[in-house]
Formats: sequence, C-alpha cells, structure tokens
Amino acid sequence: MYNIRKITDDLYFVGGNDHRLELFENMFPIPDGVSYNSYLLMDEKTVLIDSVDWAITRDYLRKIEIVLDGRDLDYMLIHHMEPDHCGAIEEVCLRYPKLSIISSEQAFDIMRQIGYDIPEDRLIKVKEGDTMSFGKHTFAFVEAPMVHWPEVIMSFDTYDGTLFSSDGFGSFGAIDGKMFADEVDFERDWLDEARRYYTNIVGKYGPFVQDVLKKASGLPIQRICPLHGLVWRENLGYILEKYDKWSSYEPEAHGVLIVYATMYGNTENASQELANDIVQKGVKDVKVYDVSSTPVSQLIAESFKYSHIVIACVTYNLGIYPPMKNFLMDMQALNLQNRTIGIVENGTWACNVGDLIEEFFDEEMKLMDVLSDRVTINTSLNIGNRNDMDALADSIVESVNNLKELKAKQG
Amino acid sequence: MLYQTTKDHESLRQAIREFAENEIKPIAFALDQNNEFPDEIVKKIGENNWMGLPYSKKDGGAGLDVISYAIAVEELSRVDGGVGVILSAHTSLGAYPVEAYGTKEQKEKYLVPMAKGEKIGAFGLTETEAGSDASGTQTTAILEGDHYILNGSKIFITNAPKADIYIVFAVTTPDIGTHGISAFIVEKGWEGFTFSDPYDKLGIRSSTTAELHFNNVKVPKENLLGQEGQGFRIAMQTLDGGRIGIAAQALGIAQGAYEAALKYARERIQFGRPIAQQQSIAFKISDMATQLRAARFLVYSAAEMKHNELRYSVEAAMAKQYASDVCMKIVDDALQIHGGSGYMKGMDVERFYRDAKITTIYEGTNEIQRLVISANLIGRMPKSKKSAGGVAAKKAEPITGVRKREMIQTDTAQEAVDILVENLKKDGFDFTVGIDLNTPIVDSDRVVSVGKGIGSEDNMELAKQLAHAAGASIGASRPVAESMYLLPLERYIGMSGQKFKGNLYIALGISGAVQHLKGIKDAGTIVAINNNPGSAIFKNCDYGIVGDLNEIMPLLIEAFGTEEKKPAPPMKRIRKAKPRKLAPAYGVYVCTGCGYEYDPELGDPEGEIDPGLTFENLPDNWECPECQTVKADFIEEKYPADRQ
Repeated sequence: MYNIRKITDDLYFVGGNDHRLELFENMFPIPDGVSYNSYLLMDEKTVLIDSVDWAITRDYLRKIEIVLDGRDLDYMLIHHMEPDHCGAIEEVCLRYPKLSIISSEQAFDIMRQIGYDIPEDRLIKVKEGDTMSFGKHTFAFVEAPMVHWPEVIMSFDTYDGTLFSSDGFGSFGAIDGKMFADEVDFERDWLDEARRYYTNIVGKYGPFVQDVLKKASGLPIQRICPLHGLVWRENLGYILEKYDKWSSYEPEAHGVLIVYATMYGNTENASQELANDIVQKGVKDVKVYDVSSTPVSQLIAESFKYSHIVIACVTYNLGIYPPMKNFLMDMQALNLQNRTIGIVENGTWACNVGDLIEEFFDEEMKLMDVLSDRVTINTSLNIGNRNDMDALADSIVESVNNLKELKAKQG
Repeated sequence: MLYQTTKDHESLRQAIREFAENEIKPIAFALDQNNEFPDEIVKKIGENNWMGLPYSKKDGGAGLDVISYAIAVEELSRVDGGVGVILSAHTSLGAYPVEAYGTKEQKEKYLVPMAKGEKIGAFGLTETEAGSDASGTQTTAILEGDHYILNGSKIFITNAPKADIYIVFAVTTPDIGTHGISAFIVEKGWEGFTFSDPYDKLGIRSSTTAELHFNNVKVPKENLLGQEGQGFRIAMQTLDGGRIGIAAQALGIAQGAYEAALKYARERIQFGRPIAQQQSIAFKISDMATQLRAARFLVYSAAEMKHNELRYSVEAAMAKQYASDVCMKIVDDALQIHGGSGYMKGMDVERFYRDAKITTIYEGTNEIQRLVISANLIGRMPKSKKSAGGVAAKKAEPITGVRKREMIQTDTAQEAVDILVENLKKDGFDFTVGIDLNTPIVDSDRVVSVGKGIGSEDNMELAKQLAHAAGASIGASRPVAESMYLLPLERYIGMSGQKFKGNLYIALGISGAVQHLKGIKDAGTIVAINNNPGSAIFKNCDYGIVGDLNEIMPLLIEAFGTEEKKPAPPMKRIRKAKPRKLAPAYGVYVCTGCGYEYDPELGDPEGEIDPGLTFENLPDNWECPECQTVKADFIEEKYPADRQ
C-alpha cells in the first residue's frame, strides 16, 4: 500500500504523482501530469534522497514514516534546489530534528534564499570527487553545473551502480504505478514527453550536458534514478544516445517540420501544399503544426527532433506574426542550432516577413542554414507560385538527402 | 620537462643529413645554376619513406610525428633550400588537406600515393587578385551534373608543373566572400588544365614554381574536398601547418649558412689569427647560434602542438615569422663573414643568401604572420553589426546588385536604340536565335517584360513583336497580369511570382517596385526603357533609355530584326546553393556558474576586453560578467564534425 515501490533491496521510491498541476513551471502544459521522485536508502544510515513539491508533501511524509518503520532519518541528500524538489525540506527537518543535509555549497545558498532556517551544523557540503559512506553504500558526488541550474550535483552509488541524475534523464508524465522504463513502451508512449521535458527545460545547456555525459561514460552505471519520470535499469544506451543527440544539437530524424502562422487559412493551405510536395518527392517524415494552437514547448521538442524546419508566416504589423515570433525567440533562447531552414512568407500589401525571419536565423542563432529558395505569397497561393513551391520542395528534399549522405559518409 | 628531441628524431636527422650531404650537396650548385628540378633526388626521398613522414602507415606515411617532418625539411634546406620546399609544399600543402578533410576514397586514391612519394602534391590558392586576401579569389567552379567546371588561373604555385595532384581553391558561391570558396583535388593531365613556363626566380631555384591555368576543366563531383564553402577553412588550416614547414626551411637555410660561416671563420686567417678569434666575428657567430636555438625551439614547439592536436596557429605564425626573419639576418652575417668570397657564384652562402628571402614572403608574408599573432593577443576592431562598438554601416546596394547603370543619352531615339543593340551584341547576345514567346519564365534565357507604362492592351501586340525580335519570351509586372489581365498570372515576374534567372531582361515601362526588382536580381543583363528618369528601375539596370515606348519599341524591333529566329540552344540554369555554415574557428566557452557564453565578436566591454579577443587569450583573472565565475571554470562547446 501507499504507493511505495522498491528500486533495489535497499532503495525505496517515496515520491508521487501530480495530475492537478496544469502548467509545469507555470508555463508548460502537462496533460499527463508529472512525478516528483524521491528515494529512501535504508542502509546502516538512512538517507532520504531529494524531496518533492509541496503539493504532494502530506502523502510523502507518510511514505517516509512507513519505510523508516520506526528508525530515525539520518541524512537528506539534495541534488537540486528547484522548488518542485525541495518543497518538503523544511517539513522533513522539523519531523526528524537529528538529520543532516548533504548538498553543494550553492544549494545551501539557495536554501537560505528560499528562507529555510536550518542550523549550519546540520549542513554537510560536498563537491566533485567527495565520497560518503552510509554502510554498504558509498556515494561519490559529481558536479553537474548548469544542468540546468548551477548548484546541481549528481551522485553515484559505488556499491550497486545507481546514478542519481537529478533532473537529467527526467520526463514529463506521471508514472501512475509504473516505475521502470522497461515496464512501458517507452519509444511509443514516453519518448515525446521525455524530449519535450529535456529540450524545454535543459535544451539551452547542451555543452554542460555533454560535459556530464563525458564524466558518466567512465562510470559502471547499472541504473539511473531521475527526479521526474521512470527509472532506467535496462537498455541504458538507448536513453544515453538520445541525450547525446539532444545535447549536441544533432537532429534525431532527417525529416521536415513545418510550422505555419495563418490568420485566415491561406498560409495554412500553402503549408499543406508544401508538405504534400515534399512527401511526394520522397521525404516522408513530415510534420505540420499551427503555431497559434500548438504549445510552443511541443514545437520546440519537434525542432530538436527534425533536421529541417520550414517557417511559413504571415506579415503582421510589418513584422513577424507574434505567436511565430514567440516560437523563434524560444528556439533561440534554448540554443537550438545546426538546422536547415526553409521560409514561406505571406503578405497582402507589404510582405517583409521572410527577410526578417532569415535575418533572425542568420544573425541571432548559430549554424542555421536558410535555404535560398523562398516562397513569397501575396495573400493566397496562385499558379504563379508553382515554380517557387517546386524549387523550395526540391531544395528541401535535396538538402535532406545531402545530409543523409554526409552522415553516412561520416559513418 | 627537458626541451630536447628524442633519440629517434636525432637518428632520423642523421640519416637525412647523410643523404643530403652525399646526394644533394654535390649537385646543388648545378641545380641552382640551371634552374633544374631534381627528379632523381625527389624519387629517392620517396623511396626513403620521407615524403609522408607525419602521416599514418595506413595512409602510406611513415607514422612519425610533426617534429620528424620539420627535421626533414630543416636538414634538406641546410644543404639546399629548394629541395627543402619541395618536401614542405608536398607534405604540408598537397597531402595535408586530403589527410584532414578527405573521404576514405579520396585518401586511398590521393593521399596514399602522395605519402608514399609516388605522386607529388601541390596547393593552388594564390591568384593575381587574391594573395594575402583570399576573398579576391576569381577562379570559379560551377556544378553541372556530376562535374564541377573549373575556370581561372593560379600564380606562384610551388611544385608546378612537376606535381601530379593539386589542391585547388575556387568560388562555388559568388558574392559571399570567403564563405563561397571550395577546395578541389585536381589531377595533372586533365583536359583544359595547363601550366605556364616555370618562373625564373631569385632563389630556391632547384624547386619549380609555375602558374596553373584552368579552361573548362571537368572535375568529378567526388573530387570536392570537404563540403562546399569549406574551402577557406581548409586553406587556412593547411597554411597553419605549412608555416611549420617554411619555418623549418628557414631554420635549415640559416643552419647551413651558420655552419659555412663558422668553418670559414676558423680557416680564414687575417692579422695572424683566424678571423673567428676576432671579437667582431666571434660575436656575430654567437648571435647566429643563439638565434638558431631560439628559432628551433619555436619551430619544434609548434610542431609538437600540432602533433598533439592543440591550437597552434599563433605558435606556427610566430615560428614562421621569427625563423625567417632571423634567417635573413644569419645569411647576411654569414655572407659578410665570407667577405668578397661569399659574393661569388659557387659559394654556398651566396646561394643561401638568395634562397633565404622567399621564407619571409610565401605561405603568408611576415606581415600577415604578425597580423595573425597580434589579432590573437589584442583583438581587432568589431566588424559584425552585433558588435559592441556601434552599428557597422550596412553596404547600401541596389536590390539587383551592382549593375553597369549605363544611361544612353542621345539626341534621337534612333541613335539610342542603335547604341543599345550594338552594346548588347558586343556583350555576346545573338539576335538571330530565339525562343517561343510563351516559354515558361523560369526556362527563358531572355524576357521582354511590360509594366503599367505599356498603357493599354493595344500596345501588347507591339511588345510581343519586340519579344520575338529580341528572341525572348514575354513577361510582365504584377499589376499588368493581376489587374490589367494583359498576361496570365504565371507570366508576371516578381518576388511573389516568377523569378527571372536568364541572361537578358528588357523592362518596358516598368518603374521598379521592390517586389519586382527582387524577382530579377539574378538576371544577367537588365535593360530598362521608361519615360520617367527617376524610376527605380534605372538604378537597377545595366543599360537604360529614357523615352516614349511608342517611339522606341518599333525602332528596337527593327534593330533586333524581324526575321524568323533560329532555335536558341537550351538555357543553362545555375543553381545557387548557399554553403552550410561552419562552426567558429575559435573556441567557444560557456560559464558553469550561469550558462553565459563568451562571444569574441563582442568581447566584454565592462571587463574592458576588446572585441576579437579569443577566450584563450583573456587574462587569467578575468571573470564571468554575469556571475563572477572564474575563467578556469568555463567549459568549451563542441560542434558536430560536419560543421568544423
């Protein structure tokens, strides 16, 4: 009972799910909810690993009490001080007044900023390379700065190869009884949300993730326990490879994402025409989205997935249509790079949006190649646009094929 | 650490020195006198496995390090600077780009025989208008089917015409400067690839130098080295390594001159004792030895850095600049020590004196080396508009690019029309051939296009006759098709309609709205005829006539000729693909405290760091401007291999 699951003989999952929160970070829709993961290690010492959001703290405290089964709590190990993981810290400290908190120096600074009043002599600062033994289990601490906050540490249980990866390898989506990635069809049911989580939350910090992946490649990792989503204990190479791709801004799919901004359906129609042309010319992996009705976090996730992105946009107030502008700004903020861009512009009297979009990609973002074949529409697609539509579709298909060839050559 | 070469290095030096002393020295004077390339010597260098010293055994090389290669160039140059540069240009400039950027197939086909010494390599970058500044490159390579068609010339190419394999740089995308340059592997013997007579040079006369001429040379697509647009990057990276070779050459020439001077000074007796015992000579010799030692450390250190894959551009530039500058001084002193004897042909120092000069000039003049070094230390003036130092003025240019804008002003319309047609014929247009009036715009080599100035439908017949006479199809501006219904929608030209990319565009009564001009920016020649001299079209044309269409059209029809036109040859359409962008050549670093990225283009104005200063050259006590994290805690960003 009480939704407690064992990860190993000594390690219990004491976190929980939240289906009532509508917007994660008050910004990202989470229709499938989210889990806040916390783990309890029962060794010679008892160690509560991370904490949860205030929203589920009542159940959380109960679970801790049950797993402890009368024992006292010796330590609380905090990897990341974002409030969705530390809402319950103060409450746990009040209930277990003898416990000490293990974390990084900067995490304690943030704790003080939040206003948690914990005596200095109960704080144990750790840094890269430090180890701590709790009995059988000895934890080695790894600093993971800017994944995606500066205070983040990860820890590696040298006894059984468990990596506590903080927000790394996390995902949106409540786990609802499942515990391990091998208990679900991850590729079908979870990959999209894992990607949406990574790209929107951590996307900007690719170089730092690469740095941590390099450190991790030297560890005999048996399982990965993240702070959101499922625990990995099988086929770790699968998720590590995804992380390597995302964090190095390499596309997962050689295909085309078309995002359009349409006011009365004309640009939408052109986008559908273009999708049709591209598929008929041989590139089948094409996705089309309306920028006004798709959460930008989903567009971001798809942008990280696909090698080619077409921006089809109307001119609005002699500028970029605001929802599209918002999407472009977000793409830039998240440091997306290494993509090929096609542009379809529309304007009824002074169509200037294509130039603005091209300039944005050229000047504000990195390694974004804007194709020189652009389609300009005056209000609505007409027969005169046929050559340009063909040229853009040809150019995209050629570019996708060239990229495939280039990647094949590199092996 | 002990700054010393290894035993293996020294035994290699010994072997090459013996070879140079025994095989080259006896003929060096003759080679110099006769301007003669030592084919046999080069063959033997290859047989000794010295033509690919720094390349892996798998690639046909000796699998040694870059210092070994520098020692080889040094030792050959110690006896004959010309032979030294044959090896340097072959190894650093011919073989290296293939090793660094070649595909598996390219390496098998070209690198292996070069590294084995079976084939000689060379490098063609310099042109009459592109020396230190590669953005002036005029040689072009245009993709047609499975081949690039190469046209243009290269000058001052070391190892030409003896070399078998040439790395040639050509423009694949015009008008975007160095980003539009690509590298190609070109074989001697291909049709249209010829050479000038070798130059008659001041020094290094045993090496051969000539011009390369390309006349419609068909280069197979698979001989593109790296990606389109990567050429400049390849050239610069290659020259970084080449500098080590030239530095080693300068070092070797200086070493030879120093040894000759020392020997002579010991033997030459004046005032009852060897002149080496005269302080004025002794001090010269001590200065020479000191400069040699300093130069040698610079050269070997740069070589070692290259071998260990560290950034070494600045160190290679320092080595090249310093070694060649002191080489000039050492050969000068060495000749001075020889007195009048040194001035005579047949004396080694006389040859060394002439051989030395080229080392301060080629593979980047020493002025350019100083530019490389100083830009790294100091930064440079901002150039992108993102830069902090104010907004750089965007070059104002007509929408259709730079055009001739020749306004034909005469007393009569007839004269104007005659001059126009004469000019067009001079430009190569043949008005005895033509295309169908209704050829799709995109397939038309010529278009006669009407604007609102045409007035009414009545004049369309005249416009069509003119199109026929000019051998063109008929087109229009947007309003003519959209509102006046004089032509179908698919025949209007402009940003939102058809783009004209053919050779001749004759605009009749078109004022030149921005969206129209954007549709003809790729036109070869633009002719504008309009009654308003203030029309924008005149700022965007090659030839312009101000006048009344009703008067000019009939005259033009007459001038072009109303006879039935012979069918025009099919139009060649050139696709202008932009090359992919490349990762910055400098290291990009991010802060572990907050994610801030240091951008050398911007510098750090509050930290008093000028734009242009690379992260590596920031002071050690520099801190993140956002969160005060120290420089040492920054990490370097990696970029995908295909963007390097």
